[in-house]
Amino acid sequence: MSDSDAKKSLKFIEIIPVILKYIVLVLALLFILVPIVIIIFGGLKTRGEFYTTPYMPPIPPKWGNIIKILNMPIFWYMMRNSIVVTLASTAGVVIVSSMSAFVFARIDFKGKGSLFQFFTLGLMFPATVAILPIFLIVRQLGLQNNLISVILVLTTFQISMSTVILRNFFMEIPSELQDAAMIDGCTTIGFFWRILLPLAKPSLAAVASLAVVNTWNDLLVTLVLIDKERLWTLQLGVMQFQGQYGQDLSLVSAFLILAAIPAVIFYIFAQRHIVSGLTAGSIKG
Amino acid sequence: MKKILTLTLVAVFMVSMLLMGTSCKGAEEEPAAPAEEPAAEEPAPEEKEPVTITWWHIQTEESQKAYWQDLADRFMDANPHVTIEITVMENENFKAKMTTVMQTGEVPDLFQSWGGGTMNAQVEAGLLKDITDKLAEDGFADTISPGALGVYSYNGRNYGVPRDMGMVGIFYNTELFDKAGVTAPIATWADLLEAVDKFNAAGITPIAEAAGDKWPAAFSWEYLVTRIGGQAAFDAAANTRTGSFTDEPFVQAGYKLLELVDADAYQDGFLAATWGDAATIMGNGEAAMNCMGQWGPGSYRENSADGKGIDDKLGWFPFPMVEGGAGNPNDALGGGNGFVVGKDAPDEAVDFLKFMLTVEEQDKQTELGMGVPVVKGATVEDPILLQIIEGRDKAEYLQLYYDQYLPPAMGSVVNDIVQGIMAKAMTPEEACQMLEDSAVENIGPRK
Amino acid sequence: MVTIETLKKRKSRRFSSDRIKVFLFLIPAAVLLLVFLVIPIFQCLYYSLFNWNGMGPAEDFIGIINYKKIISDNVFLRALGNTFAIVGLSLFVQLPLALFLAIMIGRGIKGRAFYRTVFFLPYVLSETITAVMWRILYNPDPSRGFINAVFQAFGWKMQDWLGNMNLVLFSIFIVLTWKYIGFHMLLYITGLQNIPRDVEEAALIDGVNKRQMLTYITLPLLGGTIRTSAYLSVLGSLQVYAIVWIMTKGGPVNASEVLSTYMYRFSFVRFQLGYGAAVAIVMLIISLIFSVTYMSITRRTEHIA
Repeated sequence: MSDSDAKKSLKFIEIIPVILKYIVLVLALLFILVPIVIIIFGGLKTRGEFYTTPYMPPIPPKWGNIIKILNMPIFWYMMRNSIVVTLASTAGVVIVSSMSAFVFARIDFKGKGSLFQFFTLGLMFPATVAILPIFLIVRQLGLQNNLISVILVLTTFQISMSTVILRNFFMEIPSELQDAAMIDGCTTIGFFWRILLPLAKPSLAAVASLAVVNTWNDLLVTLVLIDKERLWTLQLGVMQFQGQYGQDLSLVSAFLILAAIPAVIFYIFAQRHIVSGLTAGSIKG
Repeated sequence: MKKILTLTLVAVFMVSMLLMGTSCKGAEEEPAAPAEEPAAEEPAPEEKEPVTITWWHIQTEESQKAYWQDLADRFMDANPHVTIEITVMENENFKAKMTTVMQTGEVPDLFQSWGGGTMNAQVEAGLLKDITDKLAEDGFADTISPGALGVYSYNGRNYGVPRDMGMVGIFYNTELFDKAGVTAPIATWADLLEAVDKFNAAGITPIAEAAGDKWPAAFSWEYLVTRIGGQAAFDAAANTRTGSFTDEPFVQAGYKLLELVDADAYQDGFLAATWGDAATIMGNGEAAMNCMGQWGPGSYRENSADGKGIDDKLGWFPFPMVEGGAGNPNDALGGGNGFVVGKDAPDEAVDFLKFMLTVEEQDKQTELGMGVPVVKGATVEDPILLQIIEGRDKAEYLQLYYDQYLPPAMGSVVNDIVQGIMAKAMTPEEACQMLEDSAVENIGPRK
Repeated sequence: MVTIETLKKRKSRRFSSDRIKVFLFLIPAAVLLLVFLVIPIFQCLYYSLFNWNGMGPAEDFIGIINYKKIISDNVFLRALGNTFAIVGLSLFVQLPLALFLAIMIGRGIKGRAFYRTVFFLPYVLSETITAVMWRILYNPDPSRGFINAVFQAFGWKMQDWLGNMNLVLFSIFIVLTWKYIGFHMLLYITGLQNIPRDVEEAALIDGVNKRQMLTYITLPLLGGTIRTSAYLSVLGSLQVYAIVWIMTKGGPVNASEVLSTYMYRFSFVRFQLGYGAAVAIVMLIISLIFSVTYMSITRRTEHIA
């Protein structure tokens, strides 16, 4: 009773912050959305319209760019390659990083600090910087013009970030759970597979989302390691519309809208797990 | 639990085996294949050994890309033993990929080049093939404009061929000239400054400039150096090193450029503008002039609102003469595109270049807007293109753009300092000193 | 409050034999890192001692001259300053904003899924298109550039966003915020989801109001995530590259030069690959110094907790 009374009085005081909250939210939404809407508009314009009146709505919309791209066989090759590379790398990143993050989050041993530091090197030496030596190594492995090389390299350069993120989330899972599991006769590895991973589903989904986006948007690694257009990914396809003396921005936009759709779909799918995962988990706990 | 662990390990192991497997294949089989074939002693004497030519070009524009593919297909039809593998990349990506492959010492058989300093460095590193003798066969070398061919030679030997060679000049909008009461051509610097005032008075942007991309702005400075100091000044600074980049003409050119900046000659925000931005302004008829190379009209068209540009009211004249300058008004700044030949390229690669550079093929290239033809006797109807060719062939001193001509490390310094001068972040003296410092490092000390 | 204490207690476990096997968990990641990261780092270190234009093998050994040149180069110092400015702005502007938004849309708002998707969208778009788009938004001509059009409509002074040397870094920072706010927000939302609801429910029953809940319960429980996101943000800001390169190439006149563009200019534009490699190593050292310091500090605080 007294609780609901308190709530009523609170509401009255809180109404101003709520308005403020929505103002901020609307501003933030505009800030985020305007450029995206302009890209979408851009894809429905001619090249000249895009340069001259970039932020006006396309009236009437020109579907030519979209149709043209969808009719390009190479677009579909690239789509396939992008999907293959992204799925494989993301799976690789999630599996490999969750394993190493588990060790760093849950097990104490001597030299853990330095070893963890070693695992974060990927955050300090990005692929852009390392690309020349990477090319040499891939060439030595005979993996040039092979998507496996792209997958391996892209996986490697995301291990660090994913491990750091997952380690944090794994540490947040109450240690009482582990004690209980141990008492029930579970091994450490068993605890990892059976209890921790299912509990960490939201974190895994978050890391997977990041991995998907990063892989999907890679340009340099694929560019350097692959010569054949048929093995290129969508980000490389974009440059088909950029020339030596200028670029066809409307086609670029149309291509990018189409190229971003799979990643967006994946995120919408993944975020359900990010948000809903814990309800299931906390019941178990 | 153990099962899962074993499974993971097996998976990791398998992946690594897979890696090693492929790596072994890569190491053993590939070199083995070509080695075995001559040993097989194919009896048929006419049957030529199959060769593959790898070719990297940067013509991403659809019709041009399709044309190169078609050209390669026709060459392959005529020479069944040849396979041409094309990789098309956008300019900036091409440079990044080239950089990574060059470190291995292996380069494509044919690839885009602008000649000049970068090509010279590639020659010195032994990455390119001397094709002088092969070009001389059947008098082929004589069919190409000698000035253009010279851009692809180093110490008198040729390592590639041009396919496009033009010059920088002033493109202008005839309608806006009429409107402001300015008569073209503008022959002198004083006239140019006067014209700028007239355009400003008429509310017209006098010059479209793209200092954000740097190289377009650098053209004007380089031309000013050419006009003020002539061939002698640049030769002394860059080639013989008896002079220096801090010599009067280089500094003067900076001050002349500032005269334009101070006269408010450029559009708002020109310091950050890209070439695409500038081309839009020109293409939409919002600026009167643009100092640009032969590709200007094509870009105006593509970046304009209606996709047509200002073709019907576009004119061209050479860069104005600076009063009292040591240069000849016919001197020109120019450059273009071509292909160089990788060190391990088969002879067929040169045959293909010859196939590319017939009058007939060059005409097709001109029609697709791929540049200014270099083969003698090529047909040109476009009046502006004709003017450019005339200017190019008339020039006794045709200077390749500095950023291409100078060693690669210096080329971008030129572009950087011109932007610095225009932004008034450095004085022309300071800017020239920076360039001279880079020259000492990359060419050698002053003699 | 007691609940938090118990939650935060992460005491070290006893060592048991099956833990040894767990170390095998590190092998896949370690192998990949060794091959594609550690070897390249050493290769870079090697090249950094040469005057090398990248064409053919490196032969002209010059020792640490490249490093000496870097330290005495004003443009490098400028790039370093700009990079630190971006690091600072990210930490103190971008992250609080992301946290604010995450808390706001994390719970109790209609259409949460919509907001979450929208705020993450910029992160999904590639850096190339982000840069190209923002270039257009920043166009100083109000008939082409949306931002100046808005400024004009409100009667504010229009700006040359990318051409003004005092403004360009800030303009770029806005783009970086636009692009990466979703990333940090995702981390925070995930972190918020990991806070057991019963803790907050218990607090509510104890009569804690919303502000108290935020300061005494939500934020402390989010501490690990905030630290992680700050850590990633600093390292990410130290490496910022594509957006700056495409938007300004580090200009006008180095006004927006950052470490990565400086490195890229020397490696891929000027073909001074030895020097570029040295810059890469310097960047690595700066990152390492930060990372090691950060780790030792957080480990200490974690132990205290």
